[in-house]
Amino acid sequence: MSTPTHMVEMRDVCMQFEEKKVLDGLSLKVAPQERLVILGQSGSGKSTILRLILGTLRPASGSIFFRRHEITRLQRGRLQRVRQHIGMVYQYSALLSSRTVSENVALPLEELTDKSRSEIDKIVDEKLELVGMEDSKDLLPEELSGGMRKRVALARALVLQPELILLDEPSAGLDPVIASVIDELIITLTEKSKVTSITATHEMDSAFRIATRMAMLYQGKIIEEAKPEEFKQSKNPVVAQFLSGSTEGPILEGTLDAITKK
Amino acid sequence: MANARAQPPVLVAQGIGHLTRNFLREVGGVFWFIVNTFQETFERIQKGRVPFRATSFFRHTERAGVDSVPLVGLVSFFLGLTMALLTGYQLQRFGTERLIPGLVAIAFTRELGPLLTGIMLAARIGAAFTAELGTMQVNEEVEAIEAMGIGPLRFLVAPRMLALFFLMPCLSTVSNIAAIFASSLVCKAYFSMAFPYFLDLVKDSLLIRDIITGILKSFMFGLLIAAIACYRGLTVKGGAAGVGTSTTSSVVTAITTVIGFDTLYNIVYTTFYPT
Ligand SMILES: Nc1ncnc2c1ncn2[C@@H]1O[C@H](COP(=O)(O)OP(=O)(O)OP(=O)(O)O)[C@@H](O)[C@H]1O
Ligand SMILES: [Mg+2]
Repeated sequence: MSTPTHMVEMRDVCMQFEEKKVLDGLSLKVAPQERLVILGQSGSGKSTILRLILGTLRPASGSIFFRRHEITRLQRGRLQRVRQHIGMVYQYSALLSSRTVSENVALPLEELTDKSRSEIDKIVDEKLELVGMEDSKDLLPEELSGGMRKRVALARALVLQPELILLDEPSAGLDPVIASVIDELIITLTEKSKVTSITATHEMDSAFRIATRMAMLYQGKIIEEAKPEEFKQSKNPVVAQFLSGSTEGPILEGTLDAITKK
Repeated sequence: MANARAQPPVLVAQGIGHLTRNFLREVGGVFWFIVNTFQETFERIQKGRVPFRATSFFRHTERAGVDSVPLVGLVSFFLGLTMALLTGYQLQRFGTERLIPGLVAIAFTRELGPLLTGIMLAARIGAAFTAELGTMQVNEEVEAIEAMGIGPLRFLVAPRMLALFFLMPCLSTVSNIAAIFASSLVCKAYFSMAFPYFLDLVKDSLLIRDIITGILKSFMFGLLIAAIACYRGLTVKGGAAGVGTSTTSSVVTAITTVIGFDTLYNIVYTTFYPT
């Protein structure tokens, strides 16, 4: 087995839910300190890729590495330890609804480190400030808007100082100013703290702002992978159509006819 | 599933096979769930860390235990009353009212106390556990906990299991005392037995063995109810409706299991210690 120099590597990964094939021989490499943005239509399997990297889903076949660890083969205890180096921001935030904002952010510190109460409080305040949520410390998640929850989820993901963060639609549902703030935060993190990030999104502005590399997911495979400037110029018809948002092209070919006929 | 041309007996056999398979799968599921929870908790303890916070444990004991005392006490009180009255009039015909205290005491400590408490806790707390964990599962909260590298079984399930495990015997005792107290009132009012005499009769008829049996059973019931409720909660599928279905099924399964386990226990017990 070759030792990967990559932060994350996925080899020939296939994934299906019952009959439905979602990923079909997907391969992907992410280098350290890279900011990869995965683009793809709604339902194309972006969130599934992130879950596979975390190991909360198991692929039907193929292997997935995080640094030297083969996620797909790790025992529970090892997997739990590896996950502490990965931060995940879920698409719908997934905050614990019975805990306040600061309790949510403090949870990984309380459970997984030996830090004292005052150290924990300090880190929590710091991370909440980073995402501009220090005023909402004592609110419950149900008292927050979707965008605010997203930011708390980001603070929670950063609290253990992960090497890799996985962001599922980080700027969906945020206003343009806050969205830029979050994008900038992601960039600072990789530049200052050497964090690697993988972002799944279909927000083009945000994608081009963050990305050092972009990958297009289509029909279960990565069909195009390039630096943002090259990605923009891509000759691939699917990518071109996706970037322009036009209805003409290979995406939706069959479906569109059906819609227009009605 | 079934072959269109299959004869009725074949269909029946297939149906039974299907049910049996599902039943065994469920039993296996709950069994491994308990084993995994223990494993995860012990792994954590081996690392020299507390598996869960004391506050989390006490929150559950308070909700499941202290808050259940009125219900368990009241139901057992009324049942003890009824039992003493009904048996009392029958026994009076033979002039053997003095058997009432022993009858109620033995019936409750050995059997009815744990059983009644089990049924009430399954409905009251089991349902709450399933709904709570089910909602967390549906909202991806459980997955998020897992994704942080925190074991959801030791974090969410272990404190609940431990709380019910220790609470069941306490609540069974509450139930026993309430029922015996109720029967003492009946004995005094209808069969003119003084309290000291009543107590003597209870003491004479109760064996330590009966009490231990009841307590042992209670521990097991607590564990089973919590395990079934949490298992059902964490395996919820299908959104809000799924939480509803699982909660109902959790209560039904827990009650059935408690009664089934009780029967099994009694069969084994009377086989080895017939008296
Ligand atoms: N738990 C599941 N059970 C069954 N099917 C699932 C499950 N999770 C995802 N899918 C299916 O897998 C496909 C990919 O889902 P995924 O959530 O990864 O898409 P996505 O690219 O993140 O979409 P979006 O941009 O809308 O978030 C979808 O078609 C979905 O129906
Ligand atoms: Mg998604």
